[in-house]
Amino acid sequence: MSAETIIDVRNVSKWYGAFQVLTDINLKVRKGERIVICGPSGSGKSTLIRCFNRLEAHQEGEIVVNGINLHAKMRNVSDVRRNVGMVFQHFNLFPHMTVLMNCMVGPMWISGVPEAEARARALKYLERVRIPEQANKFPVQLSGGQQQRVAIARSLCMQPAVMLFDEPTSALDPEMVSEVLETMTALAKDGMTMVCVTHEMGFARAVADRVIFMNGGQIVEEATPDEFFTSPKHERTQVFLSQILKH
Amino acid sequence: MLYPDTVESVVLVHQPRFVATMFAAALVVFTVFNLTGTTMGELMRPVIGEPLQSGFYGRFAIALVIAALFCLNIVLIGFASLKIQIAIVWIELLLVFLAFFQTFHLSLPFIEQKLPFLIAQGLVTTVYVSAISIAIASLIAILGAVAKLSTNGFAYAIASFYTSFFRGLPLLMQVYLIYLGLPQLGIIIDAVPAGILALSLCYGAYMTEIFRSGIQSIDRGQWEASRSIGFGFGLTMRKIILPQALPVIIPPTGNQFISMLKDSSLVSVIGVWELMFLARTLGQKTFQHMEMLISAAMLYWIMSICLELIQSRIERHYARSKVR
Amino acid sequence: MNTFARLTAAAASIAISFAALPAYAGAVLDRVLDAKTLKVATDASWAPQSFMNDKNEMDGFDIDVAKEIGKRLGVGVEFVTPGWDIITAGNWQGRWDMHVGSMTPTRERAKIFDFPAVYYYTPAAVAVHKDSLAITLIDLDGKVVGTTATSTFEAYAKQELTLDAAGAPAFEYAFKPKEVKSYANSTTAFDDLRLGDGVRVDAVVSSLPSIRDAIKAGYPIKQVGDPVFYEPLAVAIEHGDKELNDKIAEAIKAMQSDGTLSKLSEKWYGVDYTVVK
Repeated sequence: MSAETIIDVRNVSKWYGAFQVLTDINLKVRKGERIVICGPSGSGKSTLIRCFNRLEAHQEGEIVVNGINLHAKMRNVSDVRRNVGMVFQHFNLFPHMTVLMNCMVGPMWISGVPEAEARARALKYLERVRIPEQANKFPVQLSGGQQQRVAIARSLCMQPAVMLFDEPTSALDPEMVSEVLETMTALAKDGMTMVCVTHEMGFARAVADRVIFMNGGQIVEEATPDEFFTSPKHERTQVFLSQILKH
Repeated sequence: MLYPDTVESVVLVHQPRFVATMFAAALVVFTVFNLTGTTMGELMRPVIGEPLQSGFYGRFAIALVIAALFCLNIVLIGFASLKIQIAIVWIELLLVFLAFFQTFHLSLPFIEQKLPFLIAQGLVTTVYVSAISIAIASLIAILGAVAKLSTNGFAYAIASFYTSFFRGLPLLMQVYLIYLGLPQLGIIIDAVPAGILALSLCYGAYMTEIFRSGIQSIDRGQWEASRSIGFGFGLTMRKIILPQALPVIIPPTGNQFISMLKDSSLVSVIGVWELMFLARTLGQKTFQHMEMLISAAMLYWIMSICLELIQSRIERHYARSKVR
Repeated sequence: MNTFARLTAAAASIAISFAALPAYAGAVLDRVLDAKTLKVATDASWAPQSFMNDKNEMDGFDIDVAKEIGKRLGVGVEFVTPGWDIITAGNWQGRWDMHVGSMTPTRERAKIFDFPAVYYYTPAAVAVHKDSLAITLIDLDGKVVGTTATSTFEAYAKQELTLDAAGAPAFEYAFKPKEVKSYANSTTAFDDLRLGDGVRVDAVVSSLPSIRDAIKAGYPIKQVGDPVFYEPLAVAIEHGDKELNDKIAEAIKAMQSDGTLSKLSEKWYGVDYTVVK
């Protein structure tokens, strides 16, 4: 393949004590790719993407992000993290800072961007997620959907090589899901490399290049959205899809 | 907040049974205390005759009047709005205390004469010793809290030994240990630095626990969000965790400061001329120590009130990011 | 040797050299003369011996004596006021040079301190409430008596007093109390006595000067009988500086012979306490 590999996962296994959460995972994320990971709860999908910026440690195998190998004794973990944006289920905005500051601190304190430039950049991305008018509010004053969009803008301000989404819509009220998904779709259209853990199958169908189905800590199936939704190969995938698409 | 019900309950002080109980209680209490020799007896002279010879009748009559006034007072206050109620009760309690101090027959000119020195020397020393100590204690507390939460066995051991030791020993003992003990190691420090050191170490130990629980109260997601941006431990702690922990830390720290203000009087044993030392010393010669002790008590109280006000201001400042 | 061990060794040697500093004879005197100040430890609330006067300065008999000693050594005097137990714990470490605070030169204390000179004697006496029926000390047999904790007055009331100081006059026990109540200081004892005859205590053993002061301040109490014993009171310094000891002894002797000491006693007590009657 021609495109540059951003995340390379080779034979990765992970345990919590005696319990194995990930078993022999192999995955490549190339530049510009949009990957959706789905699967039942407890299947290890969140754990997997949290390994990509080393919020979690893996015990076996190799994860190479942007050419940097992730391991326990690495001294440059910050170089990886600044290039990997992450959006959390519960937003995790910094409640003591305004929306604008939330977006400015990363570029200012990590990338050494001057304050004026960081402000301009923050406003640009807030515009992009369509909430520039909330810039001077505190996170608690915003709705869940707005907070999640700020969280996306905060990650974008670091101008990352890849964005990780860890169930970004599952803590939201139903009517707010679409505004976040729209933002994510727009991001995908702009060519951002994305790995999304989500149950939003409509989003997966519309946006993803590949859909990965995980179960019991293993990758069970990997397919294009068309194949995945129309002719899932694995029985477990079929059960999952039938349950999730029933209503 | 005790969230009140939307259905109003009957005002307690307007319930006949409650008022009757209070009346009976006041009647008994004031009959037991013999008030015939006081101003109250003089006021009642037209009714009971010569107060000191009025005997039980006089005492009972006085108690009856006081109990009636007392009940009338609480019933009337019951009608007022919340703010006015608070103000009136504060003022009345204050007046009761003033009346109590009145019974000491304090010499006001003496207080007036000594007050400037009490403030210029005593109060100032107390305040600066406490202020320096609380600043050092806060630094110790941050380090201690981080050490206690760390996975470094060495740091944890030192921090937990420190908090255990200095919380376990009476402060007075620590003052003695530092003032008399350190010279054994060749470190001779004066009374004021010794006092500051003792207070800092002792309160640092208490505040370590406060800071620890403050840091622990911050959601794990904040650490993860901060790390995922690329912040290292120092930035995460300084800019993300501690600022959020402060609203949790400040109220108990304010309490610690108020209590330190008063505990700083312990350093008077090593001859620091702070407020308590002067209060016990100045009136000694002329046997007017009650004057000085009460003046000092009032000064301590005023300082505490100031601190309470400052504390509530800071709390309001931090409440800013919580307003919807 | 690793770094840690080396650091420890260095710290230890520094500590030892510091601790060894004040060990040679004449050191304290040299220091006093160099600095031109004599640092005197004393009590700040022991009127009329030492207290804070109207100008909020240290004043009193002990203070005047200390100033006079300083004058005769040709140096200024500075007062520090640590607690009594801090002073008597010894190990002054140069924080102050001399103690003039009416210390009784007992044999026990002589293990830590040198006593260059006895400069006066305090008569200890007994006070009762003014309504008390006691006429002589014998009347206090079987009564409740208040004193200051760990003082010679307490020892006397408990009949355990040993005046082993040099030049202490002989005495006898004039009464045997039923109970001895000990207070943190004599003022509190007087405060309890003023409440009324026998309310909390029947009598207080204290120094005659402080009894007189209490009476002057309007306390409803009176002295009963004669002084019960005379307590010699001395200047104290730490062991190890004979030169300083001799200088102070010389100064006190001169003050006695030229009448300065008696004059100071008259000034503060109205009586000459510098000699035993």
